[in-house]
Amino acid sequence: MSWLGSIGRFGLFCLAFFRASAGRAPPLGLTVEQAYRVGVQSMPVLMLISTFIGTNLSIQGYNAFQPIGGQGLVGMFVALAGVRELAPIISASIIAAKAGTEMASQIAVMRVRDQIDALEVMAVSPHWLLITPRLLGIVLVMPPLTMLSTFVMVAASYAAAVWQLDLNGATFLEFLLLASAPMDLLISMGKALCFGALICMISCFNGFFSEGGAEGVGAATNRAVVMSAVLCVILNYFISEAVYG
Amino acid sequence: METLAQLGQFGMFTLRVCWRLIVGPHNLPDLFRFIWTIVTRCFAPVVAVIFPFGMVVALQGLTIFALFGAERLLASLVSVTVIRELSPVLSAVLVAAQGGSSVAAELGAMRIKEELDATEVMGVDGLAYHVVPRALAIVIACPLLHLVGCVAGVGGAFFTAVVLKGERAGIFWAELFFLTEFSDIWGGFLKALVFGSIIGLVSCYLGYTTTGGAAGVGLAVNRTVVWTVTIFIVTNYFLTSALFGGLG
Repeated sequence: MSWLGSIGRFGLFCLAFFRASAGRAPPLGLTVEQAYRVGVQSMPVLMLISTFIGTNLSIQGYNAFQPIGGQGLVGMFVALAGVRELAPIISASIIAAKAGTEMASQIAVMRVRDQIDALEVMAVSPHWLLITPRLLGIVLVMPPLTMLSTFVMVAASYAAAVWQLDLNGATFLEFLLLASAPMDLLISMGKALCFGALICMISCFNGFFSEGGAEGVGAATNRAVVMSAVLCVILNYFISEAVYG
Repeated sequence: METLAQLGQFGMFTLRVCWRLIVGPHNLPDLFRFIWTIVTRCFAPVVAVIFPFGMVVALQGLTIFALFGAERLLASLVSVTVIRELSPVLSAVLVAAQGGSSVAAELGAMRIKEELDATEVMGVDGLAYHVVPRALAIVIACPLLHLVGCVAGVGGAFFTAVVLKGERAGIFWAELFFLTEFSDIWGGFLKALVFGSIIGLVSCYLGYTTTGGAAGVGLAVNRTVVWTVTIFIVTNYFLTSALFGGLG
């Protein structure tokens, strides 16, 4: 039953956060720093991974549609699987793995060193000072990061389709455009926004309630990335079902 | 230059671990315990991630096939995407996030608390006793969890296609068994094995070489997840091209 307890504690944690930060100006400098950390420092990894996910999308789409002779459908597959689903999910997982774990371990170290208690003693709300900038930072950069990942993914799958699989580039693009609409990009940015907020709250929650020294920091970081990845994928299904289903 | 030095260190570490794996001494009780821990701890996340992913594949796949009235061929998309690609990659991501990072955290904490040094002082080989069982457990657990992932992913696709969208169950299964080739299955397992080796070695290396107190442990965990996922997604492209004949 301990997981039920954690859900309750997570709810209380979010409530405390809203109470502490609602109607208060966020610490601007820290917000910019967090946006930089999440956005700029995760970008190379995200681009690298998106490239290789894109190439594999093409190769596997080609294999999947070979039975019906529809190799032109690779473009459509890239549009549906890549643009709508994988780009937001992959960016969310990478951000969870890179920025989320960083948030969790930073806050957990602060907890271990009693710095969070020190903040409370000084009458500074730790929720406001530590979580608001992280939440704003991640929410600010997730949509553009997802856009960038989408473009890199589509470009890589185009390259694989044309150069590796010898498909016709024009057909690829025609089917790609047939199956995607500008609306898809907006929806995937919306997804990214939700995932970003979820990752930040989960990671900060795990860091905030870590206990037990160095091992506790490791355990909190570990739990943060697993919980945020699992919850993002589940949330993704419900958003997709609601929007496209 | 520092990256290059790290690469060399990692290579030396790999060689030493492999050497210890061959000559022993073998720590079998711990090996089985770690396999059991990793499989049980990753089981729920793997199912919880790959089942919805299978549902999404079916949801978007039906959109494509419906254009041609060929919804019955959904199974070909499921077998290719889930068994070849999604299940090995996603189960490896979760093993990295759950198993790999906990191994890095454990070894990191042992390094910080000087438990590893204490082991060596007592004349016990730290690599053979602490590192090899953990790395090997991840290598073995990865294919097992890939199996779980395949079942969950196909189950998710089945759930959406048959239960939610009203396709025929018999057609789904018949096409699935007809279109899935044996090479899909062993290719997926080979991928899982390679990814498992990457996760096992990288997470043990980063945990074993942790420095800098509690913050260092957090950093090691962070690096483990990011590095392993990046490395095996890049590897995945080459494996897919080699195994499944991407060359048109």
